[in-house]
Amino acid sequence: MRNLRGGLAASAFLFLAVSVPAQTTDPLAVGRQMLAEDNPGELWIEKGKTLFYEKRGPRGVSLEQCDFGRGPGKLEGASTQLPRYFPDTDKVQDLESRLVSCMVQLQGFKREDVIRRAISPGGSSGSDMEALALYITSRSNGMKINVSLNHQKEREMYKAGEYLFFRRSGQTDFACVQCHGDANKRIRLQDLIHMTTKQGVQEVVSTWPAYRGAHYVVRTMQWRLYDCFWQMRLPELAYASDVSIALTTYLQYQGNGAVTRVPGFKR
Amino acid sequence: MKKTWFKWAALGAPALVIAGCATYPDPATTRRVAEKMVNESFTAPAPALLKRLAQDKSQQICSKIGGAQLTQEEAAEVTRLARASIKYPPSGKLVGDWKRGDKLAHDGAGDRIQRGRLEKRKENGGLCQNCHALAPGEINVGNVGPSLTGYGLQRGTSDAIAKLTYERIYNAWAYSPCSNMPRLGATGHLTPEQIIHMVAYLIDPQSPINSR
Ligand code: HEC
Ligand code: HEC
Repeated sequence: MRNLRGGLAASAFLFLAVSVPAQTTDPLAVGRQMLAEDNPGELWIEKGKTLFYEKRGPRGVSLEQCDFGRGPGKLEGASTQLPRYFPDTDKVQDLESRLVSCMVQLQGFKREDVIRRAISPGGSSGSDMEALALYITSRSNGMKINVSLNHQKEREMYKAGEYLFFRRSGQTDFACVQCHGDANKRIRLQDLIHMTTKQGVQEVVSTWPAYRGAHYVVRTMQWRLYDCFWQMRLPELAYASDVSIALTTYLQYQGNGAVTRVPGFKR
Repeated sequence: MKKTWFKWAALGAPALVIAGCATYPDPATTRRVAEKMVNESFTAPAPALLKRLAQDKSQQICSKIGGAQLTQEEAAEVTRLARASIKYPPSGKLVGDWKRGDKLAHDGAGDRIQRGRLEKRKENGGLCQNCHALAPGEINVGNVGPSLTGYGLQRGTSDAIAKLTYERIYNAWAYSPCSNMPRLGATGHLTPEQIIHMVAYLIDPQSPINSR
């Protein structure tokens, strides 16, 4: 399988090297570019940029009117302050749930459709959401995470996230802290990041979205949390749900001061 | 009416903040808010599977924020509940077939839910390898729990050791309240018959875990 993919990518390289523009969604061309870069995730940045400025959806508009907290279309530093409270939705939102809001309200996409496609199958060319989340976060590269808890709802979200990080349930009796609460622990050979230390949590919040080698695609924090709940044998975490936003708020705030450097590169 | 209120809220929120009105919710409010989120944030292929999210009494006690210490009463309560949960196989035999136990100890699959489907397996894996070093020389093992290499060499094969080992796998919290080891029998992840095979894997002198 791996070899086949490699072979396809290599022949794609020979045929398409000149003719295919960087922002193409053709998986073969993506494979070609994977050969050329250190972190293949870099390729999703261009794709995300194109998607951001393209007129899309039933309403045929770009995402330039989307406000991530610093004003419509202002992306520099935006992800460093997320999650945050947004008056128009009256909700605390992370980057991905905010993107869903804009794709639905501005562009006219159906919420169910956006959410159903948000996490791409492994080995595919990735979802629009994955590319957009990476592009927008990359506009904060080099900047420090700086989540503030000024609004009452932000404080509730943060405290709920902290509570959930330690909430054990299910047939494995797991909460997050069972796997991420000590230094130098492993599940089989997979290193578990110690998230109750500043250094560990900063490593986390500065590196997502990340290129996931095992899946050949860029993955986001929503995916990561979904996958941990899957290992915990719990029901499926709904995309952009409050549990996901609460945990993200908790981790991001704990990680304040970390310097954004995406895409991360994960196993 | 509602719209005006929103506008007011948008303008008012920063003012409130400056006035220092945003406060952290108290623990009871946090619990209520977070539990509501849990009820609204998950989906499952069958409604019965959503019950996995509910906490039993012991899980509630063992979910201390920041890993705060248990009080003596709490530890005693978790231990009592754990002792009371332990069921033995109908045959009364606590040592099964180490070969089956070996296979189970290295199996990390079963009962996971993904893309609207429950993972179908004849039986759940034991998950032991995820957290414990097993036979000497195995590399792909976790270290969340202590090494079990040579477990039986150090302890022997007495009935008392077999019973202790069975009980620790069935419900680890009977001996170590709120430890990171799942209560694999008590939560229904493993059956008593599976557990006796793993007891054999741990204590049988023939088992690779006890090879020198
Ligand atoms: C059974 C063990 C287990 C539990 C419980 C668990 N995780 Fe994980 N977590 C993992 C593993 C394994 C990885 C991936 C390590 C790798 O890919 O090498 C991971 C990775 C992560 C990462 C990414 C770390 C990085 O590389 O930046 C985050 C964030 C995370 N988990 C959060 C959580 C949260 C929040 C919870 C609770 C809702 C949780 N985890 C529960 C095992 C677990
Ligand atoms: C998620 C991690 C985890 C899993 C999975 C797990 N354990 Fe453990 N185990 C631990 C931890 C942590 C301890 C130490 C605390 C305690 O005794 O409860 C432990 C302790 C033990 C002990 C007592 C060790 C001693 O020196 O007395 C035995 C025996 C044991 N585990 C067997 C098993 C078996 C068999 C399985 C699989 C069926 C298993 N464990 C699965 C984490 C785990």
